[in-house]
Amino acid sequence: MLPNNEVRVPQPRVAQPAWDITAEFTEAAAKIKSGKLVKDELFTLFEAVGALEIMDSKMDSGYIAPGENQAQALEDDYDVRRELTPAEVVGLMDELLCHEMAWHMGHPLSQTLFTSIYLDKLLWPVPRTVEDAQFDRTRPATDLPLVNLVLRSYCLALVKACDFVHSRVAAEYFFEEEDFVTQLYNRNLLSVFDPSHFERLLDQAIDWINKEAEMDEKLRDAIRSRLVFRREFLLALDRDLDVLESRSTVNFVSCLSQLELLTDSVALGKSVPEAFSLKIQRKLASTVPPRPIVHISHEDALAHLKRLCQDAIDMQHMLDYHGPSNFKTAVWTLLSRKPQPSVYIRCLLQALIISDMTILGAVSVKQFLYDDIAELVLPSSILLQANTDEVELPTDPRFQIAQHMEGFVKRFAQPFVDTVRCACLNRCRIRRTLCHTVVDWDNLQMEAEDLDAQLRTLTSERPVPIPSGEPTYSYPLSSWAYHQKLIQLRLVLQMGFELSIYSPEELPGMYWYLSHICTTHLGHLDRIRTFTVAARKRDLMATSSRPDTSSQPSSAFHQSFRSLERLTTHLIAIDAFSIALHALYVLLARHQLLSPASSPQAYSSEKLRYELRMKPFIPVSLPELVPFQAFQKEANLEGDSDMTVLERASNAIAEARRAWETTLANGAFIEDPSSRTPLPSTTIEEDWKRDVKDTMRACIGTSLAIETIKKALAGPTEMATLEVAIPDAGSKARWHDWWVVPQVSEKKRN
Amino acid sequence: MNKDAPDALRYVRYDSARENEYVAAMRQLISKDLSEPYSIYVYRYFLYQWGDLCFLAMDKDDTMVGVVVSKLETHRGGPMRGYIAMLAVREEYRGRGIATELVRMAIDAMIARNADEIVLETEITNTAAMKLYERLGFLRSKRLHRYYLNGNSAYRLVLYLKEGVGSIRTQYDLYGTPHGGSANPSGTGTPLFQENGGDLI
Repeated sequence: MLPNNEVRVPQPRVAQPAWDITAEFTEAAAKIKSGKLVKDELFTLFEAVGALEIMDSKMDSGYIAPGENQAQALEDDYDVRRELTPAEVVGLMDELLCHEMAWHMGHPLSQTLFTSIYLDKLLWPVPRTVEDAQFDRTRPATDLPLVNLVLRSYCLALVKACDFVHSRVAAEYFFEEEDFVTQLYNRNLLSVFDPSHFERLLDQAIDWINKEAEMDEKLRDAIRSRLVFRREFLLALDRDLDVLESRSTVNFVSCLSQLELLTDSVALGKSVPEAFSLKIQRKLASTVPPRPIVHISHEDALAHLKRLCQDAIDMQHMLDYHGPSNFKTAVWTLLSRKPQPSVYIRCLLQALIISDMTILGAVSVKQFLYDDIAELVLPSSILLQANTDEVELPTDPRFQIAQHMEGFVKRFAQPFVDTVRCACLNRCRIRRTLCHTVVDWDNLQMEAEDLDAQLRTLTSERPVPIPSGEPTYSYPLSSWAYHQKLIQLRLVLQMGFELSIYSPEELPGMYWYLSHICTTHLGHLDRIRTFTVAARKRDLMATSSRPDTSSQPSSAFHQSFRSLERLTTHLIAIDAFSIALHALYVLLARHQLLSPASSPQAYSSEKLRYELRMKPFIPVSLPELVPFQAFQKEANLEGDSDMTVLERASNAIAEARRAWETTLANGAFIEDPSSRTPLPSTTIEEDWKRDVKDTMRACIGTSLAIETIKKALAGPTEMATLEVAIPDAGSKARWHDWWVVPQVSEKKRN
Repeated sequence: MNKDAPDALRYVRYDSARENEYVAAMRQLISKDLSEPYSIYVYRYFLYQWGDLCFLAMDKDDTMVGVVVSKLETHRGGPMRGYIAMLAVREEYRGRGIATELVRMAIDAMIARNADEIVLETEITNTAAMKLYERLGFLRSKRLHRYYLNGNSAYRLVLYLKEGVGSIRTQYDLYGTPHGGSANPSGTGTPLFQENGGDLI
């Protein structure tokens, strides 16, 4: 169904000076018949969708029905000067918090916070001073501290918190409407005022409430915890980037502890629904049809907020740079939490990961790129050491190498950093972005190949014989680029499983394709290893003739071999698991136990569906797209008997379980051999372990399914008596979103 | 024969001569399932240009009980792309294959007009619609995060009708780019993530 969404309308074209067209219009109109429809060629669907019908109550927010009183239609008779009970104040604060979180979740202000009459009075007309921001500016404030001090300071601090969130999100890469709605409707979120004003007001309010001996103790505590939370949250958001320097998340920690108290006292609040109104939408400068107030539950709001604080706290564990792979693992793991961290957290992370071409405020983008290349392909090479500052003679090869490498950094640093930042997008966008970057990296790889060819004449590289082939050159930079691309190709497939993109009949083929990518990748790592071994041999020979040279290259080689080993183990684990699931699904498909989504009357053939599925990979030159016939043969394991396929599944799942065990034992992060202290255990590491353990559970589930099939194929139960359920992504029976493990069981006899 | 029997249904192509009558009924039928109605311009946009790709199901009293609205045009200078924009069947008439029949008529009409591919979006909670299209051979090509006003996500469903469609190159579309983060204040200097798949249609 077509979405009905005005903000997707493109920006208006540049305004031209107005002129009178009455005469032209009349003349043109005279030429057409009454009732004939005329369409401007430039009138797009976007504009049609964005159009409103004036005087239609469902679309025109300014529409006043016949007989409706204008004042009544626009104004609420809620009295913001009225006295409030402590229970009502708690209720109002919690309702506002729900609206604030709904906004964080992606709903517009017009359907959330801007339905509050209290906030409307504070923010409109735009206050010039903090003193201006009163619930009622027309008359002096009444002597009701619970309203004019407590509730007002809470509201002002809330708005200021929104201001911080708004500017953090707007400054980073996000998708308007999908992730967040930045529209402010010509209001201002107190952005000109320093947060200290609001902190002071909150402190006054806290002092006041502490002295209120007559108030019910529980209610007093409830209000106090809400005020304290507001203060801490404001401070936390105000200083969110300081964590790079301070490594302290103390304010978010205090927020969390207040949230405990807050959660316990939600029931004390008394709601004041009349303090919220949709009528305010009519005054907001916007061309949006009237839309209902978004209501989210206190539980959902508090859960969202708790996760936000916890994610912000856990972020500090990834701020120390311990090499490229550790950094990438930490970012990916934190952002793969379920539910995915909120847009504020994802934007904050972007700001921390890279700003001013610096990673985590400490490492230059060039260094990060070089570290990654060193770890994968060039543990010790003149390519990464050459520097134009030191060698100034343009004819010196080292000078030329340095110049080439400078060009390489200019071209590759940004796309490389983006491979990390990509994790900060919403999950759907991650996959869509990968489908595009895979093509970009295909081109980057080719550019790197040219560069490799030029560089090897400068380094006088000698070819190395590779197993099963002619002597060949190492192509370090393009090898590294190919590695990036293969990771992305794999992720496209894995994210496809996570987002439930594939239909049941595609599962055998997609797991085959995943294993195909892994096998290709493993072959590529072998090639890299061959050259690193050769380089190491050369290095050892060189150092043995010069015993005084340092051991630095040795540790660099050691680190690189270890990194290759870890990558290999991880890929074998994924590969073996895919092979097992592929074989299992082949058996299910052969015995008609997979109910296909498409019918025999479908308009498309399997071949057309394959082409569509492979669309992102068609423009990729390496690895070559598998032609449909070959794919079909492989994906269906044509020519293999059921028993052969079964054996394949059993062997593969056994290997997968071993490889995942080893992966778990290898741990999330590579310890720095030069560092005396081991890396501290962190919540991010726990997340990573949980992810691997979930994968291992999925392996066990697969083993069980294979066993059931084995029994059925051997008789006495028959395949026809089996039934298969495919657990949905996110459900408990799914174990892991990336591994679609079928539940195979005997049909219940009726 | 009972009045609910499918035999009593009549499938017709939209006729612009009966615009007033048809469009009113169509809007009523489609608006029922929407929190917010489409403006009249949306209907006119489709019907004015592709009225022959719009089909209606009428009961024996000539009351409209089902409708499909679609369009067909070159997609960014690339393939001839059909788009199914709206599909609705009156609640008490569901489960009888009316929607499938309407979609088939639209697809057949597009094939007759040389369509290369057909695309559409459907809310991920709308399993009935997804099943319908998947039975006809559509595949989910991507998931669209919070695509609809209610915050629900969608799947893009695609059907290729000819071989080689996946290799037809399209031009980069300015309107297709996402709006978020167009400013790049983080000081990195270059635009990030050139994603040209964010098209509405």
